[in-house]
Amino acid sequence: MKGYVKSVILILVGLAVLIPFASTFPDGLEKVAEHLEVEEPEQVWTGLMPEYALPGIGNPYMATFLSGFIGMFLVLAVSWIVGRTVTHKR
Amino acid sequence: MHIPDGFLTPEICILMYIISVVILVLSWKKVKAIYSRSFVPLIAVSSAFVFAAQMLNFPIIYGTSGHLVGGTFLSVLLGPYAAILSMTTVLLMQAVFFTDGGLLTFGANVFNMAIIGALSFYIIKLFNSEATSQRRFLTSVFAASWLSVVLGALACAMQIGVSPMFASAGGVFVTVPSMLFWHVIIGTGEAVITTALISQLYRVHPAVLSGLTILRGEM
Repeated sequence: MKGYVKSVILILVGLAVLIPFASTFPDGLEKVAEHLEVEEPEQVWTGLMPEYALPGIGNPYMATFLSGFIGMFLVLAVSWIVGRTVTHKR
Repeated sequence: MHIPDGFLTPEICILMYIISVVILVLSWKKVKAIYSRSFVPLIAVSSAFVFAAQMLNFPIIYGTSGHLVGGTFLSVLLGPYAAILSMTTVLLMQAVFFTDGGLLTFGANVFNMAIIGALSFYIIKLFNSEATSQRRFLTSVFAASWLSVVLGALACAMQIGVSPMFASAGGVFVTVPSMLFWHVIIGTGEAVITTALISQLYRVHPAVLSGLTILRGEM
């Protein structure tokens, strides 16, 4: 168990350190769409933290880090629940 | 490679939802039959890792970027069925909270990244069926992770290619080569990162590579 707590801390530290180096260039699919002049249509659901930025935070680094922090714990929690549901005791 | 809403026709969305849901149900049943509670922390932490890693785009060439998808990574850690469930959880959180990938296109994104990603398990298995060495294992991890991104991009290119938005630009005859062009390069990044991660885990903590245990038929 302790090892997993350590892993979560390591992931957060890695995220905090690497966010400033992450590229903001469009990804492969976005680039293809851009090149073919296909505009991304209006999204039916805009989510709560679009573009991985927590709304209301001025500093772009903090906005991204906090959205990643929250997202990571959401993934951790939901996959924990999925894991609990899908595995058997023993 | 996350397809936003609007890029696919309703027919393709429905078709991909049906295929993905069928495979998700099968995976769910398989995991239920094999996995015990002790796997839960590993499943949760590896999903969290993949989520964080997907936020970190690396630049390639001509102002384009890519990021680790992590399908092969999850396959080796968790085995193919649990990897599908783990990646689907990541994709669902991205679609719901971050508008990274649409909700209508969610079935397609699950197919392209979670399901195709898990296929790499069988590629690795194919190359390590008999007497295997660490070198052979890592080489197959490298090849499988490259292929998982390229095949995912190919599937994505065909799905968007038949939608009217892209049909006017040339359809699949244009989307397939252009998606492959970028993802042959992005896949190399995926292969380098995945192989580095797996070889480090192999060295530091081989016990967490449970996909490997499944691979050897020990589970």
